This record gives sequence, C-alpha cells and structure tokens, in this order.
Amino acid sequence: MTAWRKTDARAAGFFLAPALTLLAVFAVWPLARALGWSVTHADLLAPDGQPWAGLTHYSELVGDARFRRAFGNTALFALFVVPIQTVVAFFLALWVNRPEPAWRWLRSVFFIPTIIAMPVLAVLWTMLYQPVQGDAMGLVNAGLSVVGITPQAWLREPHLALPALAFMSVWQGVGLQMMVFLAGLQNVPRETLEAARIDGAGPWQRTWHVTVPALRNTIIFVVTVTTILAFRLFVQPYLMTRGGPGDATRSIVQAIYETTFLSQELGRACAAMFLFLGLVAFITLLQRRLWREERT
Amino acid sequence: MRCLRPPVTNVTARRPAMHLVLRPFLRRIFGLVMLALTGCSQPTAETTIRVWSHQGQESENRALRAIADRFNAAHADRGWRVELNFFPDYQYTEKIAIAAAAHDLPDAFDIDGPLLARYVDARLLAPLDPWFTAGERADFLPTIIAQGTIGGKLYALGAFDSATVLYFDRERLARAGVTPPADGGSWTWAEFLAAAATLKTHGDAPLSMHFNEAADEWYTYAFSPVIWSGGGALISSDGTTVRGILASAANVRSLQQWQQVFTRGFAGTDPVDPDPFGSGTVAMDWSGHWMARSHLAKKGARLGVMPLPRIGGKGAAPCGSWCWGISARARDPAAAAAWVRWVTDAHEGIVPIVEANGAVPARRSAMAAFPEYATPPYRVFREQLEQSARPRPHTPHYATLSREFAAALRDIARGADVLQRLQRAEDDVQRVIDRRRQQPSLSSANGGPPR
Repeated sequence: MTAWRKTDARAAGFFLAPALTLLAVFAVWPLARALGWSVTHADLLAPDGQPWAGLTHYSELVGDARFRRAFGNTALFALFVVPIQTVVAFFLALWVNRPEPAWRWLRSVFFIPTIIAMPVLAVLWTMLYQPVQGDAMGLVNAGLSVVGITPQAWLREPHLALPALAFMSVWQGVGLQMMVFLAGLQNVPRETLEAARIDGAGPWQRTWHVTVPALRNTIIFVVTVTTILAFRLFVQPYLMTRGGPGDATRSIVQAIYETTFLSQELGRACAAMFLFLGLVAFITLLQRRLWREERT
Repeated sequence: MRCLRPPVTNVTARRPAMHLVLRPFLRRIFGLVMLALTGCSQPTAETTIRVWSHQGQESENRALRAIADRFNAAHADRGWRVELNFFPDYQYTEKIAIAAAAHDLPDAFDIDGPLLARYVDARLLAPLDPWFTAGERADFLPTIIAQGTIGGKLYALGAFDSATVLYFDRERLARAGVTPPADGGSWTWAEFLAAAATLKTHGDAPLSMHFNEAADEWYTYAFSPVIWSGGGALISSDGTTVRGILASAANVRSLQQWQQVFTRGFAGTDPVDPDPFGSGTVAMDWSGHWMARSHLAKKGARLGVMPLPRIGGKGAAPCGSWCWGISARARDPAAAAAWVRWVTDAHEGIVPIVEANGAVPARRSAMAAFPEYATPPYRVFREQLEQSARPRPHTPHYATLSREFAAALRDIARGADVLQRLQRAEDDVQRVIDRRRQQPSLSSANGGPPR
C-alpha cells in the first residue's frame, strides 16, 4: 500500500511539474522581480543594482493627484460598464435564446464586435463620435440631431469622454457575456419554468424568481470577469483620446505604461502595478464574499 | 541573443545519462530547441553584427535588406556579416528599452532622433567620432549633426532627414485672390490667418493640420516651430527644467495665435480624412516631405510650397528622423561602425533608402543623385534643413515632455485656455523631472555631463 502511494506521489509530481515550472517561470518569478524593483529606484534602461527606495514609490503614488485621478477614472469606467454590460448581456441572452436557425444569426451579430481587434473598433468609433467639422459630423451626432439633440463633441468634452468610451466598450464586450449567459441558460430546468407558468407566474416573475436564481453562479462569473476586464482599460482611451481631454480618460494602465516607457521609472511603475493588482484582487474578493458561489 | 553557451553538441555530451533516454530524433529536437534558445549558429570565423531596425514601409525594409546584403558581400573577406532584424514601429522603442535592461542590445540599431539623449544618458551608446573624419562629418546636413551630437560628441547619424512645409494649391489660392509669398519666402502669422480667412469667405476649406494623427510625436514635431519662431523654447537648453519656460509669456502668445487656426474654423480638430489636401477638400496642407510625391502626382504644376508661417521675425522648421548608433557594448565596435558608415554612405546607403522612402538625403554628396532637389518642393526641404530647421530638444526627459506638450496642443486646439493648459503641462513635466533628478540612476539629470 505504502509502495503504491509512493509511486502515486511520484506520478503526481511528474504530472504537476510542467504546470508548476511554467507557473514559476512565467508568473512567480516575474512577480518577484517586479516586487523587488518596486522597492528600488530601478530605471527601465538599467533596472538592477539601483539604490533602495523602500516604500517611497508606494507612498508617493498614493499621494499623487494624477495617479489618483487615473484610479478614479478607471473605477468610474468600471462602475459604468459592469452593471450595464451585465444587465444588457443578460437580457440579450434571454432574447436570443431560441432554437430557430434565424436566431443563430442574431447571436453571431451580437458576438462579432468581441472578435474584431480593438484598434479597428477605436478608429470606427472615433468616426462615429466625430463632432461637427464644417458640414460633416459623425453618425452618432447625425442620428441624435434627427431626434432634436444638439450634436456633441463626445470624445472632447471632459464630462462626456469617459461615458462615451464606456458606451463603446459595452457595445464591444456585451456579446461575450451574452454567450456566457446563453450557456448558463441551457442549465435552467425547463420543468421549473413550466411549473411556474402553470402556477400563473408571468414572464417577469419567471425571470426574476426562476431564471436569475438558477443563473446565480453564471452572474457571479460574469460580474467578476467584467470587473477585471473593465479595470484593465487601456486601448480605447489610448487610441481614441490619449487619456484626454486633460486627464479625463487617463486609465491606471495608461499611467503605468507611461511611467514604464516614457519616464522609464521602472521602480515606480512596478509599485503602481502592485497597487493596481491589490485593488483588483480586493474588489474581486469582496464581490466573492458578498455573493458567494453555490457549489453543488 | 549572445553566443555565451557552448556549442549544442557539448551540452548533450556532458550529460551521458541523457543519451540513454533521448532517442536520436529527440536529441535532434532538443538540439534545435537549444539552438533556438541560444540563437547561436555553429561557430565560424565570421563576425556577426547584430542590427535592429524599426519596420518602415515595405519598400524601405526591402531597400535596407538589400543594403545589408551588399554590405555582407563587400565585407565577406573580413568575415563581417550583418544580421538584420526588423521590429514594428509602434513597439520598437519599447523593444530597445527592454533589450537595454536585459543587456541584450544589438551591436548597431536605429534610433528615433529625439530619444537619443536618453540613450546617451543611460550610457547605451558609443560615440561615432572615431569612425568618421571631420571631412565626412561636414558632408552631412547640419541638422543631422545637431540631432546626433550630445555633450560635444557625435552618437548617431541618419541616412535621411525630414522636412515639414506649407503645401498649397496655386489655383485655389488664385481663385480666392490670395497671393502666396515670393519664391522661398514665408508668411507672417497674420498673413497666414488672413489668407485662411479669405479662403474661408470664398467657401473654400483652408487648411489641414492632420489632427487625425494618433501619435503624440506629430504634434510636438510639427508645431514646435511655432514655439521657436515666437522666440520660446520647450525646455531649458541643458534639458533639465521646463519651469518658467514651457508656459512662458512668449509661448502663450505664440500658441494663442496658433489656436486661432482652429477656433476660427480654418482647420479641423477631429478630421477623418488623412489626406484632405490630396483629395481636394482643403486648399493648404501643413505637412511633411512624406507627402511630396503624392501631392506632386495629384496636383502637378498646381502644387505650391512655402516654409511654415512665422510668428516672430524669423521662421523655424522641424527636422529629425531615424538615425544609427552603435551599442556601447558592441562586441566588435569596428564592425558595427563599418555598418553605420555603410548605411550612411552616400552611394551605398543613402541613395537606395531615399529612393525607397522619399525622405531628404542626409549628405550633401548624395543630393546629386536626386535632381528634383533643384526645384520646389524639394529645394525648399533642403534650404530649410540648411538654414532654419532645428532638432527637437536634447533631454533625457524628451518622451515625457513630448507626451505632455502634445496633449496640451490637442486641448488648446479644441479650445482650452492656453496659459492654464501650458502651466499644467509644465507642472506635469517638471514633476517627473524633479522626481527623476532625485533618483541617482539618471546621471546627467544630477548635473553630470553625459559621457
């Protein structure tokens, strides 16, 4: 018995080794290096052997108004995107959850934006949002002016730019979440829905009291993933507004990118990255705590 | 990667136990993997010169490959062989930074002109002075020498330079009754605005300033001359402070005048068309040499060109482009320098690359191969580089400066208060400089001259 267990343990070691090696090489080691740099004045062009900085970078970053603004922008973006995208994706999934082939097309249509490269969409939406330029304007403004809304410089007004980016991001990302919900919907027991219908529950009651509870774990997954993705905001503002006007759309990732590659303060950039990592981990754990997954 | 590891065969030979396990074909695969990891070819008497370049247009890449092939053929007797690698333009600078951090820079590489000061400051480059005679250096355009010289030493030389001018459509100006300046002359800013206003009242869209450009560098590159011609600067001449300089009264006055181009609707702040002049939408184009061929093809004799309008008494023009430097850790500096000499040689390097990319030849002796430089627009490019152009500031903080200045320009064009926006940019840049100066890692920021 013991001999068998020993072979078993050895086999387990063999099977685990590749995964553990990869994890150590590509996750643990880089993180450890970055943590090391974050407490020194590491320079991007000469990272090693630089003087000790202790927690200077961390304390400076926490007190830095520009960095706090980047944090605030990103959090605000997540606050726009996560609830809206989750709710819209949920209802889209309910809507297209039909077996007829025609609906398959509609599902594909909603999914297409998620597979197109973000830079392409950034160019497209910059055109759509184009403010009045001479006698031309973007499609968004043209459409709104038909219903009597004054054309806006969507990406150029400090208070409109972030919501405009959030709207575009929801449009882009909602198809993926819709697919996740669709998969979850296949597990909602038909019998329960039938029973609810026989008991006189209307469509809204069936959704709220049967479908939503059955999709609990899916919803938690979607909210968690959307939150993490929303906090990683970078490409849309970087390509569409460069973080402007002013710093109105500068995200944490852009701040980290600029600290790394423009001012090349690697130590400070690593510290910013750890603050960012800590924040996302904290929010994710908080969500999980508040809304525990059910395991069967 | 460097060939620091022993030859592949030795790696397996030192571990006899492995032979029992590894079948021959597995061994071959293992060998290939090791080869890929180390990047080493079988040792020969050959000296491989590792060369990196940003990826340009395909014609440009092809030309550079051909230049390298001819270099290899010409230096086969000495065993020098260039191994040329291209990296996409948008990540090239990051690639260089990461390679520097990993002590894995190639022997020679091309550098975006304004970033040179940072590399020199980080002691990544070896001076080129020993490899070029004074006579050879005098053959280069003064802007190329100015771009490559830091702290009195020459660190980089380009095969070509850039120029930016005001293109115009003669017919459309004539139709609106606007008279362009005499050949070679430029407008004052007031004349420029008056011309744009006249064009506009005649129902013509006056001008393109290319605000569809996403890259920050267009803004700093194209509009720094407005600052310079107004008597201002972006940063102190030693490159260590922007305090009282970036948001100076002169700069505020200059950019207030510049802002009128947008607030009075002469140029779009959010255009979609990348070439409204070529497509006939606008009458004038604030643009670079890279549009000359296309504009000439579309407009022919209708194409006019003048130096950029001036704010103060004296005009200014931008310059600068990619240039070649040698790593301070080049394994064979003589071989690396031979490559830089080759690629900036009038006949071997400059002529083929300029034929491919249409930029301005960096050496006077190469101009003879391009008869178009006897007439405008090309003559204006050359005159400008010889007389009024100046490189963007030499400072290790250039990337930050350019990013913040470009952001300020975009906001100002879209109506921001000039003084407030410049002060903000000044604060943002100065904060980074102050922080870096406290960090001992950035040498010259602490007062020491770059080596």
